[in-house]
Amino acid sequence: MSDILVQMQKDLYAGNFSEVETATKTALDLGMSAPEILNDGLIAGMDIVGRDFRAGDLFIPEVLMSAKAMHAGLEVLRPLLAESGAASQGKIVIGTVAGDLHDIGKNLVGMMLEGAGFEIIDLGTNVTPEQFVQAVSENVADVVGMSALLTTTMLSMKSTIEALQDAGLRDKVKVMVGGAPVTSKFAEDIGADRYAPDAGAAVDTARELVALK
Amino acid sequence: MTSKTLKPYLKYLSDSHIEEIHDGSLDLLENTGIMVDHQEGLEFLEKHGAKVDFQTKRARIPRQLVRRALETVPDRFTLAARNPEKDCPLIPGGRPYSRNGGGADFTIDLETGEFRPLLHADVKDYYKLMDALDGISFIAPVFGQDMPVLGRDILMLREAFGHTDKHIHLRAFTGESLKLMFEMAVIVAGGKKELKERPIVSLLEAPISPLKFLDVTVDALWLCGEYGIPLDVCVMPIAGGTGPMTMAGNIQLLNTEFLAGVVISQLANPGAPLQYAPRPMAMDMRTGFSLAGSVELGIMATAGAQMAHFYKVPVSLHGPWSDSMTHDGQSILERMYMNMMAALAGANVLVGAGMMQQSLVISHEQLVIDSEINHIAFRSVEGFEVNAERLAREVIDRVGPGGNFVADPHTYKFLRGERFEPTLQYRNSREAWEETGSKTMVDRAKEKALAILEEHQPNPLPEDIRKELDEFVPKALKSLEK
Ligand code: B12
Repeated sequence: MSDILVQMQKDLYAGNFSEVETATKTALDLGMSAPEILNDGLIAGMDIVGRDFRAGDLFIPEVLMSAKAMHAGLEVLRPLLAESGAASQGKIVIGTVAGDLHDIGKNLVGMMLEGAGFEIIDLGTNVTPEQFVQAVSENVADVVGMSALLTTTMLSMKSTIEALQDAGLRDKVKVMVGGAPVTSKFAEDIGADRYAPDAGAAVDTARELVALK
Repeated sequence: MTSKTLKPYLKYLSDSHIEEIHDGSLDLLENTGIMVDHQEGLEFLEKHGAKVDFQTKRARIPRQLVRRALETVPDRFTLAARNPEKDCPLIPGGRPYSRNGGGADFTIDLETGEFRPLLHADVKDYYKLMDALDGISFIAPVFGQDMPVLGRDILMLREAFGHTDKHIHLRAFTGESLKLMFEMAVIVAGGKKELKERPIVSLLEAPISPLKFLDVTVDALWLCGEYGIPLDVCVMPIAGGTGPMTMAGNIQLLNTEFLAGVVISQLANPGAPLQYAPRPMAMDMRTGFSLAGSVELGIMATAGAQMAHFYKVPVSLHGPWSDSMTHDGQSILERMYMNMMAALAGANVLVGAGMMQQSLVISHEQLVIDSEINHIAFRSVEGFEVNAERLAREVIDRVGPGGNFVADPHTYKFLRGERFEPTLQYRNSREAWEETGSKTMVDRAKEKALAILEEHQPNPLPEDIRKELDEFVPKALKSLEK
């Protein structure tokens, strides 16, 4: 691998975003292609970050800083990638379900997914089934992620899945759920595709779901 | 001369730290301000002299306003109980009281040990158990997942009234249900005036960190003032998440949020009873979870208690609390230090008995153990009496070198009262322990819980009140449906 990509990955790991941005430009100047820089530099770098996060060596804020660095590089590549359509890992609509205002976990999941290269459409809190349906259909989302922190609002996940069904969207979008009281058993019962217990797992799960599509 | 030992209050902040934090909060309120998602609330603050931007819902509160609000906060009040013997007077420098952690709706099954949703039948058992445990001074709700969602909070209060004559701490899902619950308390107290004089219920409300007050929070602050219901202003930034990563920054933020609550409450209802409830939490940086049992929380809460003492308001802190999945060693380790730090910080209320795993799970065994853990905390802040008789110089002289005290009249006289006698800590011989089945403390807690559930008869509501409540509740539930 070229020296510049090695250095880019190191800077990415350290969260040095201006260095990553500069390195991306330099790599282009050196004649590398945008997809090459994206895959062998940025995404490969984030994979190392992800590996060390899962091993417990990195903390969430460090991952987010690396993600910010990745985005600095990605911004440089975006106009070039748009042509080849390789800019995004997939589109994810995310929100906290109706009646629920807890958004800390949902935001964290959103940030981590964004860091991993997904395009996030965040609908905020207290999101009704209709609003989820509308956003999924308007954005042609790959995955919809729902968060609930109250046992009373968890049921709204079920209504949302039913609403997706009624709108004829259920087989076009993967459903991922989470939040402290949610379990994989519950996810299965309500017909969601996957449950993830935390933000790190949410990234892996989203990747799997997009790959399944 | 006889005198009590000193209050063993822990301190992290110096007087100048306290001044700096106080001043910093005034500064933040004046310059950064708070977001108030409540039109009337914004108008109210503007009327009192705050600078309000209605577009961004931002209210910047001048220092004089905060100072004025602080002047009317009462330094003491009583969490009254249906049975006055179980009243909890919150007094500066007074003894601490305790309650269970509120809001759990999962349980560890008492018979099988399996983790499962908490159900309506469990709710009754939990109230009954907590009614019997004397290390739990008053009771917060636990929720049954098989109960209707709409009005679940109201049904919980109905069950609580029927199963305990201790003070009851409320949790409301909506503003409407809150008002209905206060009306239920009016029935049980025997009138609105009687409820104000002896508030048999209290409430907890929390702004959203950082610096955001929802409409329901403002409504609750005002409604509590109107009914004279004591309110915990629960400020819970999660360090590294919704609050700064640094301990100092987290305290700076939560103190600012508390003062904003004081302003909204006191300017509307001067003298309304409220409690400072610093609940600093910490984001676990590997999972993002919000931790409840970590040593830094004890440190931050202690600093929070110092701020409460500075403002001369009662203070409630996280006491026996843990992130553990069940009532195991981790749980007992975490709750023991959390509770001791809180008690030694000078908390008026130690909150958390029974609660585990992200405040979702409660267990009978843990409640029984926590009743004991609370007693240990109560005992440790109580200190001891120092006077000539107790210093026992004469007795030491009488017994002399090489003698013993066991049969001395002085020992006989002070035999009871100097010590807390635990009911769960095993102190007998190994022989006796093995003969009685080699039970661990958790085994003993389980037995005690089963025995209480079998035998304990809570003090029932007077018949006329029961009738009136049972007429009121179905109507209340109906009115929510609209
Ligand atoms: C902070 C907090 C609040 C704040 C919320 C601020 C905010 N901006 O979100 C405030 C004060 C507003 C609040 C209010 C209430 N709360 Co609250 N709150 C909490 C608390 C302490 C922490 C929650 C949190 O943010 N954790 C940190 C985040 C990062 O964790 P997380 O959300 O679980 O997310 C992680 C995973 O679950 C997962 N995840 C989350 N979402 C998703 C989504 C997807 C798609 C995936 C894959 C993964 C995933 O990844 C995240 C990161 O790893 C919890 C107790 C606790 N310790 O958990 C109670 C708690 C959730 N609240 C509770 C209650 C009862 C309430 C109130 C009803 C109380 C009241 N009336 O006063 C109100 C309800 C308001 C409403 N309508 O929603 C109860 C719920 C009980 C239950 N089982 O239903 C709890 C458990 C506390 C308790 N025992 O009382 N609360």
